[in-house]
Amino acid sequence: MNVPYTVDRRPDTGVTNVTMGVWLFLASEVMLFGALFSAYALLRVSAPAWPSGRDVLDLKMGGLNTAIILLSTALVWRASRMASTPGRPVIVSTLLAVAFLASKAFEYHDDVARGLVPSTNTFLAMYFTLTGLHVLHVVGGAIANIWLLAGVRRVDMRMTTGRARGIALYWMFVDIVWLVIFSLFYLS
Amino acid sequence: MRAFSTDHKVIGLQYAFTSLAFLLLGFLLILMLRWHLAWPTAPLPLVGSLLGDTRAIDGILLPEFYNQIGAMHGTIMVFLAVVPLAVGAFGNYLVPLMIGANDMAFPRINAASYWTYLAGGLVMISGFFLPGGAAASGWTSYAPLSILASSGQTAWLLGLLLLIASSLFSSVNMIVTILQLRAPGLTLMRLPFFIWTQLITSFLLLLAFPALQAAAILQLMDRLAGTSFFLPSGLVVSGERLAATGGGSPILWQHLFWFLAHPEVYVLILPALGIVAEVVANITRKPLWGYRGMVSATLFMAVMSFLVWAHHMFLTGMGPTMSAFFQVTTMIISVPSVVIVSALLLSLYGGSIRFTVPGMFALAFLPMFGIGGLTGLPLGLAASDIPLHDTYYVVGHFHYVVAPGTLFALFAGIYYWFPKVTGREMNATLGRLHFWASLIGMNGIFLPMFIQGLAGLNRRLYDGGRSYEMFAHFDGSFRGQAWSAVFLAAGQLFFIANLVWSLTRGRRTSSNPWNATTLEWATTSPPPHDNFASTPVVHRGPYDYSVPGAASDFLLQNDR
Repeated sequence: MNVPYTVDRRPDTGVTNVTMGVWLFLASEVMLFGALFSAYALLRVSAPAWPSGRDVLDLKMGGLNTAIILLSTALVWRASRMASTPGRPVIVSTLLAVAFLASKAFEYHDDVARGLVPSTNTFLAMYFTLTGLHVLHVVGGAIANIWLLAGVRRVDMRMTTGRARGIALYWMFVDIVWLVIFSLFYLS
Repeated sequence: MRAFSTDHKVIGLQYAFTSLAFLLLGFLLILMLRWHLAWPTAPLPLVGSLLGDTRAIDGILLPEFYNQIGAMHGTIMVFLAVVPLAVGAFGNYLVPLMIGANDMAFPRINAASYWTYLAGGLVMISGFFLPGGAAASGWTSYAPLSILASSGQTAWLLGLLLLIASSLFSSVNMIVTILQLRAPGLTLMRLPFFIWTQLITSFLLLLAFPALQAAAILQLMDRLAGTSFFLPSGLVVSGERLAATGGGSPILWQHLFWFLAHPEVYVLILPALGIVAEVVANITRKPLWGYRGMVSATLFMAVMSFLVWAHHMFLTGMGPTMSAFFQVTTMIISVPSVVIVSALLLSLYGGSIRFTVPGMFALAFLPMFGIGGLTGLPLGLAASDIPLHDTYYVVGHFHYVVAPGTLFALFAGIYYWFPKVTGREMNATLGRLHFWASLIGMNGIFLPMFIQGLAGLNRRLYDGGRSYEMFAHFDGSFRGQAWSAVFLAAGQLFFIANLVWSLTRGRRTSSNPWNATTLEWATTSPPPHDNFASTPVVHRGPYDYSVPGAASDFLLQNDR
């Protein structure tokens, strides 16, 4: 069986199935994080006191993670625009995603060692929930990268490019979420 | 037929049989509850002794199990039965056929969606076997009650997260399929109304469910990680101060829940309207009256459905400004529903109606949905909602929308498309018996609820309000409801027997037994694996019935 418009654009909609699917998925993700950020706003404005993020969290670690994830995304985006098969940039990007996860694990370990856990206060409850969910998204992105690399030899070049563009869009969304989290928790 | 097939027709049937099984389970649960409400101190016949000591003592339902039935009936019916049947089964099976496609856009994601749904359903149901039983905090799972509930609530939340993932997969797939895989010539304004309702329903699922996903994640954190997103400061439980940080808001749960659950109401009703529209055009042998108006009304309704959620929350003390906003939006959203139902009624005018079995279900849908919709208006205005809130009036209102409303439409759809799926007819006599038993049974259950509710009877009372003198005279109506429920159950045996018998013994039919116009009737019954021998090319609109000068009283969309 042959599904049309997996690599070619449909003339009247102007997109491929994959592109449309990724945008729709991201719309749903916007609503998910939108609901969580609204919950953050509502709980924060009704709280009698809200700690300053800089006093609780390590701004240097946050800054390092921001740099890692932005670089990782830039590499996937670069790979999706290349004329040749996306190989090396995606491998490096995946390694950077793993580095992000490692540094986040280190940071969580440090938080818990200092007695900072989700049940401490609402700030930390939100911090662990949102960063935890973001971590899951980074794991998902790393898996998508590996899937892309594994498919390079099995599907044709145009299919791989289409997948790479979809995955690059997803990584950009993961970045945007991280930047909001970074400003709400580390910079506030 | 392989179990892990990626064929949309196989997946559609997997959805159909699974959701019908859940529908039966949800119904059997509430049947016990209706019997208990009629005779609260008498043992439950047949099943009472089989339930075990944690659920019933001497055959009489325990209050704890009564609460589980209430919560799980609602959850099963909405999330595991009606939506998967309307969207998973009808959508999967019919959408590719009706748009002239070979399959869905992402067949493997489609299969993943079904298996995730099944897993979610089983996880949710597994709560019944956990210590403390299944979720018991209502299908709305309001905090803080739900956070303090036993581990069945955790199963409920995990199951829900799986169902939301399944819904995300299938809604993305559905939208891409409809927009990308339409046959040549099938422009948006030539789509059957059913396809429009599936498209818009998928958008609602895609954008509304994430709010509940967020809420479920937060509630899971409250239950498992000791956070207090929904626990206020200084909460006292059973005379003791709760050891939690506090600072959360129970109202936040309600906002997030209803942000999903109001669009969910339209998810329940839109595919039903789509099915009724297809059947009405077919039995009247006329084009739908006001097709364009119906499509615009549906789009408008979908947008508005995101702006009405807090009309479920007038009792939270939101203040007159907020309350005024949500009352106005609620009155506005009633307009497009009336537009669609009026268009369907006007479509009947002047037609020589064929009273087929699907036709009877579709025709009964109109007044039943009308009762359900119109009784909702007083609930959308704060002044009348406040005394009616949480009474049986509310239960009556939404059951008229969903039971003799949506379920009748889904039955109409099953009888209508059964010949396409199997190449065989369902028995019409058994179908008529099923119809009349369902119509009488359902009205016998739900009509008294309006009267009980207007008298102020709360919907969740374990003894049906027997401890209040003012409700003593409802004894008779509770018994009438219980017998109606038994009658309704007996009527469903006609349906089950018909379904099983017709699968193998039903009379063989042609590829287009109803003389219908849409593309699914242009292929054989049952359709081959790739649906069409060659890609159909569409030349006309979806309802070319009784075209002047044509040889027959119907023209298929791919007829020249």
